[in-house]
Amino acid sequence: MSPSYFVKRLALIVYTLFVVSLVVFGITQVLPADAAVMLLGENATPDALAAIRDKLGLDQPVWVQYGHWLWGVLQGDFGVSLRTGQPVAPVLLEALGRSLTLAVLTIALMLVLALPLGIVAALRRGKLADLLVSIVSYVGVSLPEFVTATLIVLVLADWLQLLPATGFVPLTENFWDGLAHLALPVLTVSVILIAHVSRMVRSELVDVLHTDYVRAARLKGLSRRSVLFHHALHNALLPTITIVALDVGYLLGGVIVVEEIFALPGIGRHLIVAIQTRDLPSIQAGALIMAATYSVVNFMADLAYAWIDKRIQYG
Amino acid sequence: MNVLEVKGYGLDYATPTGFVRALDSIDLAIARGEVLGLVGESGSGKTSLAWAIMRHLPPRAREQGSISLAGQSLMTATESEIAAIRGRRIGMVFQDPSTSLNPTLTLGQQLAEVLARHRGLTRRQAWAEGEAMMARVGLKQPAAMMRRYPHEASGGEKQRVVIASAFACQPECILFDEPTTALDVVTARQILDLFAELQAETAVASLYISHDLALVSRVADHVAVLHRGRLVEQGEVDAVFDAPRDDYTRRLLAAVPRPDHRLMTGKPAAGAEPLVEVERLSVHYGRTPFLSALAGRRTAQVAGNREVSLSVQPGEILGIVGESGSGKSTLARALTGLNRFEGAVRFGGRRIAGRRDMDRGYRRDVQIVFQHPDSSLNPRQRVREILSRPLTLYGGEARIETLLEQVRLPAAYAERFPHQLSGGEKQRVAIARAFASRPRLVICDEITSSLDVSVQAAVVELLVDLQRRNGTAYLFITHDLNLVRQLAHRIAVMYRGELVELLDIDDLSTTGPRHPYTRKLLDAVPPPREYKS
Repeated sequence: MSPSYFVKRLALIVYTLFVVSLVVFGITQVLPADAAVMLLGENATPDALAAIRDKLGLDQPVWVQYGHWLWGVLQGDFGVSLRTGQPVAPVLLEALGRSLTLAVLTIALMLVLALPLGIVAALRRGKLADLLVSIVSYVGVSLPEFVTATLIVLVLADWLQLLPATGFVPLTENFWDGLAHLALPVLTVSVILIAHVSRMVRSELVDVLHTDYVRAARLKGLSRRSVLFHHALHNALLPTITIVALDVGYLLGGVIVVEEIFALPGIGRHLIVAIQTRDLPSIQAGALIMAATYSVVNFMADLAYAWIDKRIQYG
Repeated sequence: MNVLEVKGYGLDYATPTGFVRALDSIDLAIARGEVLGLVGESGSGKTSLAWAIMRHLPPRAREQGSISLAGQSLMTATESEIAAIRGRRIGMVFQDPSTSLNPTLTLGQQLAEVLARHRGLTRRQAWAEGEAMMARVGLKQPAAMMRRYPHEASGGEKQRVVIASAFACQPECILFDEPTTALDVVTARQILDLFAELQAETAVASLYISHDLALVSRVADHVAVLHRGRLVEQGEVDAVFDAPRDDYTRRLLAAVPRPDHRLMTGKPAAGAEPLVEVERLSVHYGRTPFLSALAGRRTAQVAGNREVSLSVQPGEILGIVGESGSGKSTLARALTGLNRFEGAVRFGGRRIAGRRDMDRGYRRDVQIVFQHPDSSLNPRQRVREILSRPLTLYGGEARIETLLEQVRLPAAYAERFPHQLSGGEKQRVAIARAFASRPRLVICDEITSSLDVSVQAAVVELLVDLQRRNGTAYLFITHDLNLVRQLAHRIAVMYRGELVELLDIDDLSTTGPRHPYTRKLLDAVPPPREYKS
């Protein structure tokens, strides 16, 4: 991979985020909300409203407002929350941290479970193990997360009373308690991902196991194990990288629902509250951060792909 | 003592409708230092036999008889015994090196793993030994080649690596499954020379599988002819070629194209106005991507054709030969408007300066038949729909039944789908489609290269017949020099996008080729040996 490609991709991310910022800003402009009224309440005097509008620059043309906002964003200042009057950035970063913990744990659990499931299903194709993995996958993919969440809460938290159903404890504060609080949300989001990725791994591996080079490796006298790990898996996992990166998009959406269900104060929950209260700066910042996460993850997937498959020449 | 011995071997595959016989009472034996050529057309079971010897059969296979290696039965060996035999005592060279090598491992890794597995070498020793093997199979710069990935090596280099790994552990027996079919004629020749050299040096017992009789007659001591799962004839090469006993062998031998056996008699009328004149036609591949163009950068372009000039007389067959990547198909695509081109084409006196000038009239007059009928016939259309398209487009009054009859297919085939036809029949439908508009020029782009020899012979005969009846001119693109010498009036030789020589078929036999590349091509493919019919 050439350094110029690297720079080009980074530039493309910046460009993407710029377009996203335009869209996000545009949408918040057409939302039926008056920031001044939101801040001061329904009973504010016209003078007070005018003063705050002047202070926030709300009476200026839209593009000037956008310019101000963007300039602030570039310096890490996402404005002041209309709901709390506090700066948006620190609160949002804290929420993002919690959501990322959830996301990273989910992806880790998914990889630990989905890869072996997919591999077993592919190796035992047409056998009972394959059938079981397939059934579980189909069920997992077809249930929406609020249903899975409800079932999981019902069984693990209500009947068995194994894990807490709501709340959040930072991992730094009490690791095991924190983990216990994260367990149900992580399980809920990973069900669909595990189903999706294990099916992907299975079908890719089945294809690769039928290639000429895998047969050639077998006919060289290599053991099944060595053929699987040295020849087949490598190539079968390549498309999975792309799928996992795309699934991060789903994950970001899933996080919003799951955080709401489990009362987990992450970025998803934050966004929902922001939208309900017409807290424009928080909505803008939240959406932008989600878009940035998605772009960066896909960029990393491309880098990983090129690193593993030497045929890929990004230029 | 025979190294490999197959006795009364039968193989059936279980299908939902019962067992299907793939091989029937096969008897063959190969002694040390001997080469047995196994010849058969597609579907004859030759690859099944190779898999059976390698013990690589699907679970639905049912077997009888015995296969033994130096007296040890392979059919009763356990899986771990087989794994120790494969690669160590029986090697295999596959047809297409571009699919039989793992794209994400270096060539060195794929060679060294055999040595590490079977000879118990450490990684470092295996790597050094692998490098020595690479040098032995004639690869220049073996150290650099070890570190390369398959996509960084040419087809010939890759096949040398595959051969190196087959010979790596000094096996007693090696199976060669059409090892040169996927390669260019010149490269194939070099690989054959390497095979002969290694074979003589190591005295390995070789089973050489091929559909190409002419080729087998040169590499093998003994030949076995496989037809529908049965060995119809077996013996020393000379005996089989000089006095074939079986009818099928005779048919097979007769179908092999022989340059001295001209199929095309007569010449196009001399002094007539040329039908097509190609003037300094160039094709460039590679466009600058939008973002790079914005940045003011230009991508390096690859020349597909460089200033090619030639002409075709009405009713003439002009053969175009050259190795893959020499620009043969690029020219065909340019003439049918599938590629942009520079320069000009004059057709029937009319100047065609670009794709815009190719109007309905031109497209009716210039038709193309592609190499793979599987991809050029729409699998969801019946033959009737496929053939009615050019009729409605160009308004021919011919009926579909007549078109089918012209290519010697029964009229009932009109209601069939392509997958219900054999390879040769599909190609006949593609030919019928090309002739539906009564064209004056038909471009045949390697149309017989995916067909068996006997089918090829029939298709070629059909082409000659159509040419005689309709006076159509052909641009006959092929890599088969013997075939083109049977058919063409003149031969254009292409090399790296350029037309290097244009010679009359009579001059070829009298004065011979002038360009060194043409000579190299001809030397790579000696005409098949004579046989008494």
